[in-house]
This record gives sequence, structure tokens and C-alpha cells, in this order.
Amino acid sequence: MTSLSLRYARRELRAGAKGFRVFLACIALGVAAIAAAGSTAEAFRHGLASRSREILGGDLSVTLRGRRFTDQERAAFASLGPSTDTVRVNAMAQAPGGARRLVEVRGVDARFPLAGAVTVSGAPSLAAALAAPGPPGAAVEQALLDRLGLKLGDTVMLGEVPFAIRAVLLDEPDRLAGGFEMGPRVMASREVLERTGLISPGGLFVETIRIALPAGADAVAAGEALQKGFPDSGFRVRDRNDAAAGLRELIGRLEYFLAFIGLAALLAGGLGVNGAVSSYLEARKPSIAVLKALGAEGPLVRNVFLIRIAALTAAGISLGLAGGAATPFLLGALFRDRLEVPALFGVYPWPLIKAAVFGALAAAAFSLAPLGRARATPPSSLFRRDLTGPLTLGPESLLAGLAALGLAGVAVATAPTPLVAAGMVAATAAAWGLLWLLGRGAAALAGRLRGATRGALRLGLANLAGPASAARTAAPSIGLGVALLTVVLLLQAALLAKVKEAAPDAAPALVLTNVTPADGPALDAAIAPLIGGITPDRYRRMPFASGRIVGVRGGPIEPEQVAPEGRWAFDRDINLTLIDSAPPDANLVAGRWWPAGYDGPPMLMIDDDIAAAAKLRPGDAVTLSVLGRELEARIAGVRKVEFGRFGASFALILNPSALAGAELTQVVLIKASAVQAGAVQRLLARRFPAANVFDVREQLEKAGELLDQLALAVRGAAAVVAVSGLLVLGGAVAATAERRTREAAILKVLGAARSQALAATVVEYGSVGLIAAATGVLLGTAAAWPVVRFAFDFEWRFDWSVLTVLLPATVTLTAVAGALASIPALLSRPAPVLRRE
Amino acid sequence: MTKTSPLLDLDEVALTLPSTAGPVEILRGASLAVAPGERVAIVGPSGSGKSSLISVAAGLERPTAGRVRLFGQDLSALDEDGRARLRRGRAALVFQAFHLLPNMTAEENVAAPLEIAGRPDAAEAARDWLGRVGLGHRRGHYPHQLSGGEQQRTALARALAVRPGLLFADEPTGNLDERTAAEVARLMFELLAETGAALVMVTHDSSLAARADRRLLMQGGRLQAA
Repeated sequence: MTSLSLRYARRELRAGAKGFRVFLACIALGVAAIAAAGSTAEAFRHGLASRSREILGGDLSVTLRGRRFTDQERAAFASLGPSTDTVRVNAMAQAPGGARRLVEVRGVDARFPLAGAVTVSGAPSLAAALAAPGPPGAAVEQALLDRLGLKLGDTVMLGEVPFAIRAVLLDEPDRLAGGFEMGPRVMASREVLERTGLISPGGLFVETIRIALPAGADAVAAGEALQKGFPDSGFRVRDRNDAAAGLRELIGRLEYFLAFIGLAALLAGGLGVNGAVSSYLEARKPSIAVLKALGAEGPLVRNVFLIRIAALTAAGISLGLAGGAATPFLLGALFRDRLEVPALFGVYPWPLIKAAVFGALAAAAFSLAPLGRARATPPSSLFRRDLTGPLTLGPESLLAGLAALGLAGVAVATAPTPLVAAGMVAATAAAWGLLWLLGRGAAALAGRLRGATRGALRLGLANLAGPASAARTAAPSIGLGVALLTVVLLLQAALLAKVKEAAPDAAPALVLTNVTPADGPALDAAIAPLIGGITPDRYRRMPFASGRIVGVRGGPIEPEQVAPEGRWAFDRDINLTLIDSAPPDANLVAGRWWPAGYDGPPMLMIDDDIAAAAKLRPGDAVTLSVLGRELEARIAGVRKVEFGRFGASFALILNPSALAGAELTQVVLIKASAVQAGAVQRLLARRFPAANVFDVREQLEKAGELLDQLALAVRGAAAVVAVSGLLVLGGAVAATAERRTREAAILKVLGAARSQALAATVVEYGSVGLIAAATGVLLGTAAAWPVVRFAFDFEWRFDWSVLTVLLPATVTLTAVAGALASIPALLSRPAPVLRRE
Repeated sequence: MTKTSPLLDLDEVALTLPSTAGPVEILRGASLAVAPGERVAIVGPSGSGKSSLISVAAGLERPTAGRVRLFGQDLSALDEDGRARLRRGRAALVFQAFHLLPNMTAEENVAAPLEIAGRPDAAEAARDWLGRVGLGHRRGHYPHQLSGGEQQRTALARALAVRPGLLFADEPTGNLDERTAAEVARLMFELLAETGAALVMVTHDSSLAARADRRLLMQGGRLQAA
């Protein structure tokens, strides 16, 4: 790059951003979306990291299900530092009036919490609430008070013990590490909780000991030593670095999804960038030719404009980065009181660097090829304005191709799951290419059709077919936005249909846990008349336990060794049952069920997704940690399990003799109408108060509401791409403004009214909207279908609002935006315009 | 090239351009030789190919057939950048539509060919030449701030500042009123006399053509004595 190029480029920059507003907006919008997603995610990550000790409740946490820690284990924990011991169990809370609600009870000792503080209202502190004289105290969430119609000072029964409600529980430092909750939380003294009868051997309780290590101690090493010291204990050790690992993973995935939308916005805006550079260079063609006539070589001319484009790209990126970096602060200011996840708002360089790289690569991919035209524009175009430099395969086109590949490469390399990202990037690129081709096809078709029309329609179609047709520029960009919105709407429709319609039909209405085997027959007999008899399609009672897969094929297995889609089954305890002979919904896809009454070495049925993720087949050995001991079972069969449906919806099923002798509690699934479910609930309160009742309908309603909120946010983000498309439309209109002004002037001279010229504009841009919307909806549907059918494994459901709302809205919005942008041309007086000619 | 060799030698040059309605033959075997210091005027009806002849002769465009030698160099042997280097500092053009660079001031426009030729005194020379065409006081103005006559005087200064051996002028007064056209023509011939540059000029203006040493008529894509 010579100093002469720089000097001339500086002179070119005197024209400012004129003609480049769309260019700047397209780059800035995409970069801002990516930077905002990254910066917000980083703020949450730093927030979580800064409070990791509080979130875990100490430096180490050791969790055990279904049994208590041994004295030897407790001694080992005590040797590491001060510790606190908590027990968590689900139980039914019952108000004096008889109203009941499943709650999550936590029994804590006097040292709780080791890190952070519990916030309560109604009492000076948690310790004060629990230790007050009189009946044992409890701190409960407001949701429980509301649900049971209670107030501070009232009594609530947990198991066989009445508790006085002495405080409202507002926050606990380690709440985020807790995971999914089945009901409102209640906090009580562990010693008192032991007396309720809720903590029984083999029951569904979880005991956790949290340890504060001495300052400077290596938490990771201490955790590993502890796990190694008790290889067969079945407990799970986490250090403060693992705190809220699931949440961090969720943040990572959401960040990528939102950043992907930013990338799609850059892609949609790419045609705006390309159009702006092409229009600019078209306007500068005389200058290019003059410079060449004065003796300037092609590369010098190209570099002059390259520097100008680079400077404008830098400006666009800077604007985007400023917007993106400011977004977390803005969100923080708006939602600070409602944020449940800690966030440390600040300016984080890495997400901004990443967004800048995306912006620079997108600008290069879309502007280098037209810049090649600047190099190739012949000086003879001074004599013939229609001569356009040929789009040859020069170094600029090659670099543009490399930049496009780089864009895809960075998008894939920075993704949490590169394979999925590669699919998304490839699908988006293919959709974009197809939209671009369809846009060109539509322009050609308009050219053929105009002969059969007249008046405003003919003029509109002629413009659509012309050299500056918005069908070739704006339609693909708007179409990409519509396609993304369609995908989001259809996925949301499928999810909502599942949660609000399919699931309530297919799922059990009630799930009972903590039913003792001794109570089983009496429970069956009592419920049968309430639900119209006990049949396998409306009532199932099965033993219930939870266990963790700790080894396969005789060796240990770590979650990292498993494909991401099945990792959930390897990094936590999962539910399992024992079934003798094959149930009606066995759904075996490989292997066979064990014979009825089988009592040989342990055999296992496993979910097909888990088997695929760890490459397991029938005959392979799987080591499970169940009830505090390790058990090796061979896979007898692989099943397709439909989770959430009524039936044997367990990822793991063992043959009954595998856990012979263990006093497992039972789980009962009941399909019932709302009236029948109410009757069952009343029966349980009266005769089986120890059984926990999980109301599935209520949880599904909550999930539906949450999904609605989430979908709104995702739709908003996807709309950014559509905005990008409208920007490109604005750019396309601006690029033809001079021609339109001349055209309108000539039409007026020929006697046309403004309304006729406006009608032609509406036809033109309405057609652009129709092309974009129709192709966008088609492509979006084609992309959503395999996701719904194969990735989600849901029934396909077409959301007609895509056709009845999205399609007409796009056509109208495009026609109105195009007409509005053309108004200055239509309003100009013909005489001064024609005098300029 | 000897002293007597022509600066420009066109031999049976043809130019056919594609168009949507089929190929258009613009030049059909035009021949022309221009000696150093010679002033040649080409006249002819609109659309006869006069401007195309300038474009081909100055190496802005390749002929479809025939040979063009500029400063003794066969242009067919050079690519576009090679032809640009050949023009640099030796051949200059003036256009009917002025074609000043809109984002550069008058002085920067005049300095441009000098800078491209690598002349370190480009700015001083540009100021000097603007003074000579009577625009020393307008050197900081942009083209859109200048009148048509001022723009063409600036273009003339830009063309002659490099002291070319050959000036191509395409309707240099075609966009100007009569009085301004006469003023620009006077200035151009004065400066040509001062620099000794040869001239190949296309014009409709018979009085301007009359000032040339030789007048040729372009008709049907061929040149003949007027």
C-alpha cells in the first residue's frame, strides 16, 4: 500500500459516510448483536466465577443419595477443614386446614452456610428463626405461604412433626447449585428433620457435606484425593470450580445461539454491504477511469477504495462494539432486581474481539469482490458509462472467498458443539445462496411478465426486472430474516404443543413418590375406585431408585468421554426402576427383555440415546452406583424411551433380583382427570400422608409460561435479522434514488400523477416482500421440520400464524418501507431534475 | 524512436463493440500518424466514432483490429497497467465533461498526474499551473464549487502540468458557452505553443478546428482529409 494510495484515500474520505449509511448500519447491527451476546454471557460467567464459593456453599461439596455418610467418611471430611452437613428431601407440607403441597425441605446445621449468607424476612436471621423457643422453627418461601394460605407464625406439618413458620426465606447463597426444584423450599434444623421420619434408609433424600478448606489449599486436588480415598462410596465430590456447571453450559449455549443470530444478521446485511460498495464504485466510475487515464495502475486505484472501505468498516465495527459493550450495562440497569444469576457487568475484551473479527470478515467477504471491479474498470468507461468492469476471478474475489470461509470457520471453531454449528452455518449459507438465486430468478420472471401487463403494474415489474432490482439485493436479505423467524416460530409452536397439549394427554396427572412397599397393596386398593379401576394404561406402581453410571465395559467413564447429547446421563444421578417382565411400552430397538422370574447376574435396559452417546450395545457391561454401592450389570436391551409419558419412562431398568434385599420406595404413576386427581389427593392426605404428590399438570403449566417468555426473547433476537433485511431494502432504494427521481420526473412530464408512480413503487416493493416472505417461510419450514421431528423427536405441527401473520406482515412492511423511502423521489419537481440532465 | 518518427501511429484500426442489439462497428480501418508538435483536429457527425478514436489512440481501449503505436510502442504488447505507465507523464487527456476528481480540490486535481508519475514537486507545480490558467485564487476549491469554464481550465492545467508530448482533447469546449469556449481555446493553444506538445482534438467547433495544422473528417468509422 503506497503513501499515494493513503493520500488519495484520505481525500476520498472527505465525502464522509455519504452513501454508506446502510453499509455502516449493516456492519454495526451484526457486530452489536454478537458483541452484546458475548459481553452479556461473559458478565454472567464472571459473576458466577466471583461467587463460585458461595454458590457451592464452600470449597468442596460431597453429595450422597439414599444413604448417610459413614463415620469414617465424616472423619475424612472433618480433617480437611470446617464443614456443614445438610439433608434435602421432598415432602408434603400440610396446613392446619388440610391443604397440602409438595415442598423441598432442607435440614441445616448451626454452621450453615459456610460461605455467603441466608437472607430471610420476619426474623433477624435464619439461625434465630430455627432456634427460637417453642415448637421447631422453619423458614419457608413466600410461594408456600401463598399456596397454603398461611402466614408467619402459623404451623405447617412436615411428616409427623409440626413446624412453626418463623421467617420467609428470600435467598440462599448456594441456591443456584441446587438444580431443578419440585416445589417451594423450606429450611429447618437438620436435627429436627431427622425426627420427621422423612429421612429413612433407601429413601429419596440427599445428604451434602460442604467443606471450607484452609486458605491457599488446592480445592481440585483435595476433591480428587477425597474421591480416590473412597472409590466405592458412590458420593459425588464437586469443587468450587464446578459450581453451577450446568448453568455455565446453558449460558454458553444461549450465547452461541444469540451470536449465531448476529452472524445471520451480518450475512443478511452482507447484500447491503455489497450493494453499498457496488453503488459507491458505480458512482465513482468516472473518477476511477480518470485516475487510470492520468496513468494510475489498477492496484493503486483499488487500494484507494480499499482503504476507504476499510476505514468505514472500522467505523461500523466500532459503532457495533460500542452498542454491544453497552448492552449488558443496559440490561443490568433494567433487570438488576430480577436477575437470579449473579452478573459482573464490565467491558470484556474477548467477546468484543470476536465480534470485531466477525464484522471484519463479513465486510471483507461482501466488499472485496466489487472492489475488484474498481481495479478492472477500464479507463474507456469515461466514454461509455454503461461499461462495467468485469467481475473477474482476481485476487480480490479470492480473498473474498477466503474471508467467507474464515467467517464460517470462526463461527464453527468458537461454538460449544462444532458439529451442530457446522450444520447451522452450512444450512444458513445454503439458504442464503438459494434465496439469492431465487431473487435473481424472480427478477428475470418479472422481466418476462411485464409484457403482459400495463400501467403501474408494468412499471413496477420493469423496475423489479431492471439492473438495480431490489429482488436481487433486498429480497434475499429479508428472506433470510423471515426464514429465521419462521424456524423460531415453528420450533416454539412444536414445543408449546408438546408442553400444553401432547404432554398433558400423554403424561400421568400425578406422580407419587416415597410410597413404602408395605403400603403398596393398600394404596392400589384405595385408589382403584377413584380412577375407574387399576389397569396398566392408567396406573403403574414400580420400585424407584436413583443411580449413576460410573463405568462401562469394565473401566471407569468420565462425562467428557461421552457425546454431548447423552452426557446428562453420566454427570448426575438418574432415576431407575426394576421390572420383571417386558411392559407394554418396552419399545426395544436392540437386544431382548430378560425372561420372567430371571434371577441371574444383573441385567440392564438402557435408553437408546444414552447407549448411542457412549457407544454401548447389548452385552456390554455397565457399572452403576446405586444405594451407595457399585453394581455391574450387562445390557440386555436398548429401548426408545419417551420421557414424560405415562409408563416405563426410565432411562435405566434393572431386573428385580439385581437389587434384591434393598427396601426401595415405590413410585406410582396415575392417569386421571382433574376431578379424579383431586379425589386421589384427598385420599392420600387422609390415609397415606407420607407419600409425596407431584402434580404434573401444574408443572407443565409453569413450563409453558416459561417457554412463552423465552420464546418472546428469542423471537426478538431473530427479528434483528429481519431488521438487517429492511436496512438492505433501504440501501437498495437509496442506490436507485437518482434513477427513480429522473424516472418520476419523466413520468410527470408524460402526464402521470404521483399516485400512479406510487402505485408502481408499491407493486415493486410488495413483490420484493412477497418473494422474500414466501421463500423465507418455505426455507424456514424446511429447516424446522427435521429439527422438530428428529432432534426434538416431537410431532410435526405447522403454526399457521407463519402464513397468516408473518407472510402478510412482511409483504406490507416491505411495500410500505419501499414506498416511504421512495417518497422524496416522487415528490421532487420535474423541471430542476430534468435541467440537471 | 527517431525525431521524425510519429508520436502516434494508427494503422487500419477497427473497433467493434457488443450491444444487446448485436455488435456495433465503430471504427472501420482508421489510420492516422501524428508528428511531434503537430496539431490535428478531427471533425465529423455525432456517433461517427471520434471519441472512440481518442479512446483507442490514448490506450484507454484496445482496438478489435489494426495496430496502435504510441511514442513508438506497440500498445497491443501492453496490458492495461502497462498502457497506464506509458501514458504517465507523456500523454494527457482533456474531456468535454471535464472529469475532475470530485473529492479533490483544484490543486489536488492538477497535482494528481504529477503525484502518480512520482514527481516530488507535484504541489508546487500544480500551484504554478493553476496560476497560469488564472485560477491561483481557486486552488482550494472543489470541482462543484467551480464554474464550467473554471473546471475546464483546471482540467487543462492538470493535462499540461506533466508537460506531455501529446495531448488528446475530446470536445474540450463542447460543454461551454461561446465566450468561455473561446477563452479556453485561446488558453489551450497558448499553452500548447509554450510546451510544444502535439494535439489530437475532436471537435464540432469549426473555428476551433481551423486553428489546427491538419483537419480530418471522421465518417463511417474511417478518417479522411476534411
